[in-house]
Amino acid sequence: MQDILDVLMSRKSIRRYKSDPVPDEMIDKILEAARWAPTGENYQPWRFIVIKDQETRNKIGDLSKLGSGKRMTAWYCLGTMQKRFEKIEDPEKRAEVLRFMYSGEVSEFCKQAPLIIAVIGDLKIGSVDVPYDLCAATENILLEAHSLGLGACWVHGPVAATRDAIKFKEILGIPTGMNEYKVICYVAIGWPKEQRKHPRPKYALEDLVYWEKFGNKERR
Amino acid sequence: MDKIAYFNDLMARTEELFYHELSDCVAWKTEFIGVDFIQSKDITGGSPSEIIESCIREITAAGLIKGAFYSIGGQEILLYLRIQECIHVPKELKLIQGGIEPYNCPIVNMVLDQLIEKLNFTTTYVAELEVDPETNECMIKCAIFETADKIGNVCDWSDECRLIDEQDQWKTVKC
Repeated sequence: MQDILDVLMSRKSIRRYKSDPVPDEMIDKILEAARWAPTGENYQPWRFIVIKDQETRNKIGDLSKLGSGKRMTAWYCLGTMQKRFEKIEDPEKRAEVLRFMYSGEVSEFCKQAPLIIAVIGDLKIGSVDVPYDLCAATENILLEAHSLGLGACWVHGPVAATRDAIKFKEILGIPTGMNEYKVICYVAIGWPKEQRKHPRPKYALEDLVYWEKFGNKERR
Repeated sequence: MDKIAYFNDLMARTEELFYHELSDCVAWKTEFIGVDFIQSKDITGGSPSEIIESCIREITAAGLIKGAFYSIGGQEILLYLRIQECIHVPKELKLIQGGIEPYNCPIVNMVLDQLIEKLNFTTTYVAELEVDPETNECMIKCAIFETADKIGNVCDWSDECRLIDEQDQWKTVKC
């Protein structure tokens, strides 16, 4: 059995892509990885919508921009956004980063991704575990894409608000009833156009792990 | 039996569970709670003020609140509401007691729903919800976007709210 820790630790969210298409055999491998995710009682509630059409990607990008932009505009007006970016010392750079966020442009990147995979779940099949199963499938998509040399980003924001989720479903022709399908996210995928700083800071394990009981940091 | 207390207890428990599942993004999920009531009323108006006042009139007449003041500012993106003696205040106080910030105001959901339904607003967002346990007044700041190009029009809402208070720009409806 191969240790995949290197794959896990070198993955990062990629939001800038070359325009080159993702080959079909790679798409098939990514989807294959998704369907082998763990799933409660083997229900496999996930369904995947593969989107290459530019017009559809533009609609999803616009919706994403709207979803992030409305929240971040409000957060900026309340003053909470500014606190998140206090560490950027150059005031001009900080202002530009903030504008990029509150304009919603931060979430528009799927327009440039040659491939989007929407991850949805059939609520009537999935019994109790639908959101968790869908998240496991999404992680497999990210890891397989990364292991193939592609860049990918898990995007939840645009489908987080109920009205936005309905709009998302309408774009893709997904039944909109609250009892039918849950949209957990989409994943934007393409050939990376950026080299992000890596690794991004992570909490030390000793800050995250307890031994035997909550709060006990002493290894046993 | 106090049926309002009973239903508020049910709502508080439901919202507690919902928060436990979704943490801070829970507020993004609840925007339809309350809309059935307002959609059953004949809300009319050709401007945000007319729609908001029509909503307040119906909500007050039904006894859900005692009254409400509102003001629109911040490049017409900030909708600031003060809602008095809402029947759901006990639900909010119960949540606060349990360590959860109130996140779901059915009254505001009604108003925002009608801005979208009647005036075709592009989107809205409930940004801040505070409850004063002394006065039973709720203060709510919402972002309302008539069109998509209003996204990103920012200003300092603390200044805006101070001006609204200082210059008494509050509007209300006699019911």
